[in-house]
Amino acid sequence: MKSLEYAIETRRLNISYGDNRVIKDVDMKIPKKTVFALMGPSGCGKSTMLRAFNRILELNKDAKVSGEIRLFGENIYAPGVDPTEVRKETGMVFQYPNPFPHLTVFENVAIGLKLNKLVKSRDELEDRIHWALEKAALLDEVRDRLKNYPSELSGGQKQRLVIARALAMKPKILLMDEPTANIDPIGTRKIEELLFELKKDYTIVLVTHSPPQAARVSDHVGFLYLGDLIEVGKTGKIFESPGSELTEKYLTGELI
Amino acid sequence: MSEKFHRKLSDLKEEVMEMGELASGMLSDSITALKNQDIELADSVISKKNKLAEMDEDIEEKALTFIALYQPMARDMRTIGCILKIITYLARIGRYGKDIAMTVKELAGEKHIGKLVEIPYMAEKAEEMIRDALRAFENETAIDAEAFISRDDELDSLRYSIFRECLTYMMEDPQKITRCSHYIMIARYLERCGDHACKMAEKINYMVTGKRMEIK
Repeated sequence: MKSLEYAIETRRLNISYGDNRVIKDVDMKIPKKTVFALMGPSGCGKSTMLRAFNRILELNKDAKVSGEIRLFGENIYAPGVDPTEVRKETGMVFQYPNPFPHLTVFENVAIGLKLNKLVKSRDELEDRIHWALEKAALLDEVRDRLKNYPSELSGGQKQRLVIARALAMKPKILLMDEPTANIDPIGTRKIEELLFELKKDYTIVLVTHSPPQAARVSDHVGFLYLGDLIEVGKTGKIFESPGSELTEKYLTGELI
Repeated sequence: MSEKFHRKLSDLKEEVMEMGELASGMLSDSITALKNQDIELADSVISKKNKLAEMDEDIEEKALTFIALYQPMARDMRTIGCILKIITYLARIGRYGKDIAMTVKELAGEKHIGKLVEIPYMAEKAEEMIRDALRAFENETAIDAEAFISRDDELDSLRYSIFRECLTYMMEDPQKITRCSHYIMIARYLERCGDHACKMAEKINYMVTGKRMEIK
């Protein structure tokens, strides 16, 4: 039966690299159209989990996934599921803004659409690119610079360009792996404000090692520690009175 | 959170304890002044009100600066929230001490009625509650809510008993109305001090356990 309430559900999710188990029996539910932050110290498995959500983890031959990950009720690790289709539904934004340096701003957003032949005409392509840039709160800043190269943009603008590139494919879920780790405070603020807008239409999973950022932008938080999901809950509750002693220690800096 | 933050938070807790000693000292001195009709001691209590207000402001400012600089979370945040609340309760307790001290001056030179009814006993009970709440804050231990509630109930009963007794005196002799009205007011202040101790206990328990519980 398909679950309509959750965008992502994991059931007894285990991930290992060789003999090393990095995600252990995780059962987690991420509600639709919310920002869900996965937080935890370095090496706790949060990025690994994020990469499992769109099956790019399997590009690493050592990685082994067992259990289930359901996107909108469908197990994406079931036999016969095409990983490319999964990735179309799940846009990904990484820590370092990675626009294609040899493509213009316009072409960067257009590339996925062209490669997948998702638009039929030049007009449709332009409309979709303007729409994606606007959704990513970048259009006003680059309207006259669509033929420029990303190297002329600031770090924050590059990251929003990458977000626009992901949005152009009309995914349902946005996966963000520390998207502001290398962005200045003004750029960070713009991206955080953008998340508030985007969650009206998308489910956003944000990996962050910054509890203050998780507190600022997310609706729900999951705390991962050494591969175990220690606690999941509403952001306000977790940051004020977490249910687990371990979460309390992490948030008060007693857990390194 | 950094070691520096925790060191500073510990210093701030010390300051709250100092404020607690000042406030509860003002209350107990005011009752001693009342018992002994000691105008000098009453003046000394009244003179401490500015110091109390300064500590209240100073601690509040430091707590807000902590939030701005360190964005504390979980227990750290609950501790700061607790500090911000209990300094208000302590300021009120100290001010009740000042109000009682003012009454001492007004009643100077006139004999007490009925050995001050049960005011000294009631004050002792209120002071114990404040002391226990402060000790729990200092040691970061939870307070037995049930026991605190029954102690507060006892204070409420004492206030009512003082009220009834004073009414009798007033009906018997209208000359006693002024003094007895003051006694009734003082009993009311002491009852409020007990209520503030209960609110402090609630905040301290939340700081320690992360769970809300009502104590009243």
